[in-house]
Amino acid sequence: MQHLTEEQLVAHYYSDDDAPAAANEHLESCPACAAEFDAISRVLALVKDAPIPERGDDYGEQVWNRLRWRLGAPSRHKQWQWLSVAAVLAMGLCTGVVWNGRHSPREETVRDQQQARVSAPAAGKIAGAAQNSQNQRVLVVVVSDHLEASERMLTDLSNADASQTFDAESQQQRAAELVASNRIYRQTAMQHGDERIASLLTDLEPILVELAHAGKTLSPDELASIQKRIETKGLLFKVRVMSAQTSGGDRVPAAPVANTL
Amino acid sequence: MELADAATVSRARSGDADAFRQLVERHSKAIFRVAYRMTGNEHDADDVVQETLIRAWRQMGGFEERANFSTWVHRIAVNCSLDLLRSRNRHEKNEMSTNQNDDDDPPNELASTDPQPDRLLLSRELQVRVGAAMESLSGNERTAFVLRHFDGMPVDEIGKTLGIQVNAAKHTIFRAVRKLRASLEPLVRTNPSCST
Repeated sequence: MQHLTEEQLVAHYYSDDDAPAAANEHLESCPACAAEFDAISRVLALVKDAPIPERGDDYGEQVWNRLRWRLGAPSRHKQWQWLSVAAVLAMGLCTGVVWNGRHSPREETVRDQQQARVSAPAAGKIAGAAQNSQNQRVLVVVVSDHLEASERMLTDLSNADASQTFDAESQQQRAAELVASNRIYRQTAMQHGDERIASLLTDLEPILVELAHAGKTLSPDELASIQKRIETKGLLFKVRVMSAQTSGGDRVPAAPVANTL
Repeated sequence: MELADAATVSRARSGDADAFRQLVERHSKAIFRVAYRMTGNEHDADDVVQETLIRAWRQMGGFEERANFSTWVHRIAVNCSLDLLRSRNRHEKNEMSTNQNDDDDPPNELASTDPQPDRLLLSRELQVRVGAAMESLSGNERTAFVLRHFDGMPVDEIGKTLGIQVNAAKHTIFRAVRKLRASLEPLVRTNPSCST
């Protein structure tokens, strides 16, 4: 009796053999080949059962957030942010209308007018503070997205091999977009008196500008210089910390090895 | 999923980025699974997911609406993974393999050193062993094996994917199985419960 070869047994396992019935018949009558087939089957079952690392339910969204830069597509987050801004503006408008309506001179008695003269400045301050708080929250949400994108860019730069030329072309457009948004957010943060965000964005801007205006490649010296500045200022860590805080603190940044905040 | 995909794909084909975002969110995990099996590395698999979807976006115009989007994007993922496997630096690969061999205990010690191994630890160990065994396969062997073993792709289609004849594809699968067997059979012998 001629035994089945290992190759025939593997083909039989996958039903890729030319004569499966004959192979089955042989396996039933040949303990040696049956044992060999069983050994192959067990190894292949082991491979099939090997676990695959899990990805969370938000994996698709994470992928999209990384991808959209390269596809040139707008962010759903950003669309939501614009809606938030619009909503805040609308609320501000409504607050003003209601305020004016309630304190219309035609409907006020003399006593109301006297009370209004006393309480209006205080109420105005409260309304102003509430409005300021709303704007602050919107700023934090908007900056969160910006910081995440900046963090990815800084990570790419920091992890690049400084002994080789760095391909900056793919990053340039992204950097240019980030420079534009960075300026707006920095100015807004300064207007709102948010010194932490303003300071971080001030540190971040020169790196973004340099990358946006770099040629197609960065020489090893240029790359090393940028990496040194990122490291010296602890910029990546600061961005991570701020990004984690502004996005709700769900990410815990790794502590810096040699950087100081 | 497919019915939902059809309308979304149609919009994505006309350049609707929001529709494409929906496809990304629906299919990324499945693409990751394929990519991980092909590359055996989480970071590489993440990169393959991105590259696959970028290629898909660029080729959306050429996608036939009657076709199945998940099958189409799966094929792109396989090609991206194959490109990555082929471009891996041979020296780096050998170095990794050597390090793993240095670090790993002999396979037959897995069960014998611990009479009552913790199941989670065992599962993790198996993942490492299987990963190392898969790492020993060449790019073509790994691709052919993954497509046949996990995806059930017919041998002739595997041949087309790899650009080789059917018999060569069949033999490539066999070589892959033989290598896996050499690495993993001691585990199965010493720990029969692993095969279930």
